[in-house]
Amino acid sequence: MNTIYLYHDNFISLLCLIDYLLKNKIKPDNIKDTSYNATLLDEVIFLKIKEDSNIINKIKKNYSYRIFKIMYEVYLSNHDNKELIIYYFFLNTLKYHQDVIYHRNLRCVNLALKIAKQVGNEAHKLKGFLRFKELKNHILYAEIAPDNNVIYLLALHFKRRLPHEYFIIKDKKRNIYSLYDKKEVYLISEDNFNLNEVETSQEEKQIADLWKNFYQTIGIKERKNERCRMNFMPKKYWQYIIEMEDEL
Amino acid sequence: MEIKEKLQILADSAKYDASCSSSGSKRQNAFGNTSFSGICHSFSADGRCISLLKILMTNCCIYDCKYCLNRKSNNVKRALFTPEEICSITLNFYRRNYIEGLFLSSGIIKNADYTMELMIKTIHLLRHKYHFGGYIHAKAIPNCSEVLLKKLGLLVDRLSANVELPTEQSLKLLAPNKETKKVENIMSYIKNNKSRKFTPAGQSTQMIIGATKENDLDIMQKSENMYQNYNLKRVFYSAYIPVNKDKLLPSLTTPPLVREHRLYQTDWLLRYYHFKTKDILDEEHPNLNLLLDPKAFWALNHLEEFPKEINTASYYDLLKVPGIGVKGARRIISSRQHFKITFKDLKAMGIVLKRAKYFITCNHKYFTNLSYFKKNFIEANLVLEDKIPPINSNKQLSFFE
Repeated sequence: MNTIYLYHDNFISLLCLIDYLLKNKIKPDNIKDTSYNATLLDEVIFLKIKEDSNIINKIKKNYSYRIFKIMYEVYLSNHDNKELIIYYFFLNTLKYHQDVIYHRNLRCVNLALKIAKQVGNEAHKLKGFLRFKELKNHILYAEIAPDNNVIYLLALHFKRRLPHEYFIIKDKKRNIYSLYDKKEVYLISEDNFNLNEVETSQEEKQIADLWKNFYQTIGIKERKNERCRMNFMPKKYWQYIIEMEDEL
Repeated sequence: MEIKEKLQILADSAKYDASCSSSGSKRQNAFGNTSFSGICHSFSADGRCISLLKILMTNCCIYDCKYCLNRKSNNVKRALFTPEEICSITLNFYRRNYIEGLFLSSGIIKNADYTMELMIKTIHLLRHKYHFGGYIHAKAIPNCSEVLLKKLGLLVDRLSANVELPTEQSLKLLAPNKETKKVENIMSYIKNNKSRKFTPAGQSTQMIIGATKENDLDIMQKSENMYQNYNLKRVFYSAYIPVNKDKLLPSLTTPPLVREHRLYQTDWLLRYYHFKTKDILDEEHPNLNLLLDPKAFWALNHLEEFPKEINTASYYDLLKVPGIGVKGARRIISSRQHFKITFKDLKAMGIVLKRAKYFITCNHKYFTNLSYFKKNFIEANLVLEDKIPPINSNKQLSFFE
């Protein structure tokens, strides 16, 4: 039998569950969110634990901001066993405190660091590759389909960057939207949000064409280097980068 | 002239400037901010990053530099942006997240000061009328007055002037209207006035490689001097691409891209690895090896310093190992206080052993029998490993002149 512990699909719930398991010296076979489809071999346990957002401050204070960030980034990843990785990373953090990040000889620590880095990298890349278009009502709208769940990180970035613009970012893979109303960033699932009108504004095509033309012009043909471009700008992102549409 | 055509002409003439970085500045405004680490928004077909809207104010020019597309004597279509046009394009592109900001350079129209005033007017509009907080890199026009330099520096994140060629003689030959001294005056003015308000992201410069007869030693000595004297953030090396025909210019079929790459690697060794030009190049060997990267080449010729023991070598010694970079060296130092590092751990830590393994020991163990620690064995392996390009092998080879 596999003992699987469940948490509500949010980061605080997961941290509180892991904290509880560690305090009670319980070693789970896996940890999954409530959408998990149990098999015949699973024993599924859903504990009633008080969920307190203070746990985040505790981690930042007792260990470091970096430790919190690593856990959060792993949580945002698309790794199958991300919860278990956070569990073991947390376990080692109890032992080594903020120095845990130097123990790369431990598999779970190394894995957590690697995954966190991948998530951070993807978020950083998309800060550049995301393309807004202006809708008829002047709202900025962008679609992405990242490997990891980085939409919230992106929305926070654009909130700082364009504080006086309304924007909507859609994650097509996860069917979630991030909205910004010039005050706060909200995350909303498709079920609660209906966006049927994505008609772009009149000048949109003109500006996009101007940009595409600039993109074509700026490349130096004597230096053409397809492999180098692909390394920096992987093809999986091209579908949302408007200047690449024609090359797909 | 339509805006689309203008943009095409003025982006086409600006594209040979290599610099496109958007890092090193923290700015926040009502419309836009900068990211300290810089953000690349796209990559052009040549694999170079696009983070800024790189354009000229105008490609009209009173100068006649031999290598330049916009020289006076060339019969090309000329265009001039108005300040409002540049603002409109910049803001519209920035808002859609196409770009991180603006890179504004210019041909010289009427005279240096007139050109600078046009640029200042444009950037002033962006910053003060539109409250634009994105990154702005401007090129200073040599010969302009100091007052204008100051005005421009207070508006932009980075201000720079290009030395264009490594020596005064070459400049005289190919750019008779330019003087090294004038460019150096600008560079020292920027250096002496740099603050959080004045060019917070510092300055950079650019040299054309392969248009004149200087060797790599001349070039790197020039760079080293400039890094020391003017606190430059970067020197960019731009492989010469023939756009004009002139009896004073070399006739190349392909730009010297491998050489450019080796110069960049050497540049990195100077800035981050505590190397000096004289460690790498001297009068007897004034050019970089094209087959091996400069650090590997240096290490091969200083085998008496190797192998380095990973668990005890100093930070500076680790940096000398081919394949170990600044991040890797830091990671090794912080990890080895907690456990003894083995080859397996190095791999797990993300350190690429392809080159490094020949030059290190872990707990006094070499990756193979230590009797193989010989120059010809290592050299053969390093060259071989470099020589196996995964795809497009014939394209790669054509890089060698």
